[in-house]
Amino acid sequence: MKAILSLLFFVHSFAVFSQEVDADVVIQQVVQKLNTVKDYSVEANIKTNIPLIKIMPVNASIYFKQKDKFKVVSKGIAILPKQGFTDVNTFLMNKGSYMAVSSGTKTIGEVKTNLITVIPTGETSEIILAKLWIDTKRDVILRSQVTTRSSGTVIVDYTYGAEVQFGLPNQLTFTIDVKKFKMPKSVAADLNKTDQQKKKTADKDQKGTIVIKLTNYKVNKGISDAVFKEK
Amino acid sequence: MLLKNTYNEFIKILAKPRSYLGIGALTLLVLLILFAMKADGKSFISFVTASFEQTLSFNGNILNGNLIAFIILQMLIVHIPLLVSLVTGDLISGEAAMGTIRMMATKPISRTQIVLSKFIAGAVYTFILTLWLGFLALIVGKWMFGTGDLIVLNSDGLVILKEQDILWRYGLSFGVAYLALLTISTLSICLSAFAENSIGPIVSTMSIIILFTIIGTLDVSVFDSIKPFLFTTHMASWRSFFEDPVPWTTIRNSVSILVIHNIVLVLIAVYKFNKKDITS
Repeated sequence: MKAILSLLFFVHSFAVFSQEVDADVVIQQVVQKLNTVKDYSVEANIKTNIPLIKIMPVNASIYFKQKDKFKVVSKGIAILPKQGFTDVNTFLMNKGSYMAVSSGTKTIGEVKTNLITVIPTGETSEIILAKLWIDTKRDVILRSQVTTRSSGTVIVDYTYGAEVQFGLPNQLTFTIDVKKFKMPKSVAADLNKTDQQKKKTADKDQKGTIVIKLTNYKVNKGISDAVFKEK
Repeated sequence: MLLKNTYNEFIKILAKPRSYLGIGALTLLVLLILFAMKADGKSFISFVTASFEQTLSFNGNILNGNLIAFIILQMLIVHIPLLVSLVTGDLISGEAAMGTIRMMATKPISRTQIVLSKFIAGAVYTFILTLWLGFLALIVGKWMFGTGDLIVLNSDGLVILKEQDILWRYGLSFGVAYLALLTISTLSICLSAFAENSIGPIVSTMSIIILFTIIGTLDVSVFDSIKPFLFTTHMASWRSFFEDPVPWTTIRNSVSILVIHNIVLVLIAVYKFNKKDITS
């Protein structure tokens, strides 16, 4: 009887263990894919839907070069999230700066993903906590939820197209927290509005989204460092 | 006769050194703002966008001529009334002080036409001042800072307007700003009809503006019923053209209030001047 129970326990333990994924391996596979991209340029269409900000969609060109050179060039004013564009990738590439823990699986759309929780090991890291939903079949991140010291929590949903082989998305949807946006009263003096009207407008929805559609990727074609210099 | 007298009145305005003082002061103020913005404009912008910049990054040429023109308009629309009333407040009372008003009344022109010609000359001077402000703010601003989208901070958030969607807004906002300044000009000429010296109408005009502005900014319910009828409440309505969507009803209401003020003040001045004792 004891032998049967021991066998059952061993079989069960093995079954459970075999379902667990090695979080480090999953992340390294994603990083490996991202490392195939030395540089890229891409055309972006940015649609911003943030309470307190009214802006029409903007077209821009985005340039990236390893390790962390990043630049947005637009004719008009373009609003992008401060966190979540390249900083997660840059953070993941530094293997010794974090520990990864597998936190189960979740289906996003129709894709089964592994949820990996990434905790920085350094005390001064800008990123406090990152949750990554990774499609292990394609080795790409489908969703990330990054909490930083300065910007709060930013959720990014990734959609992939032709550049999935490089781990580059064709659409990014940022969901950001806008609770702390406050209007400097001295600058926004509006004599025609009463305080009650101002209060009403301030109590709007507190979540904002920025959708960036990326087209016309040029990957590993070489980009001069001069492009990234401030003008 | 009215046009001829208006021409003479305008020549008189041009002959006074204080008329150039206004234009000179305006030029100096605008050049000072342009210099300050060129030297340290980025920190001014970051003050405006500070609460957003922790989470968002603003890309593109934010500090451009369109924004500079907006900042100049916002800063100076409070001070230009003084420059306007400095000249227009003297138009009738100055003549009374110098004693030339009696000589004018001997001309084959009615008293009503004399007052109207002064109003028209004052309106032309105000127009030139507004036009000069527009030139310095928009043309010189664009020449110095280039062009681009306009970022406007209202009490209910940021509005970012496309470059190609801005010029018509400036055209109309300068029109409404002119109407607001015209009200100041009309008020000071009206007060000038009651006075015998130049200082009185100028100081009275500024006092009324300060008083009405304080009433307008005080969040006390007792003033709520009169606030919509104060012309100072509508002096900043040029700003409404930079909202999205443009609140046309509010602008129409502001324009109506300002036009009514102008008509009433002209009628009061005409009535007073016709009754004025100019013989003593």
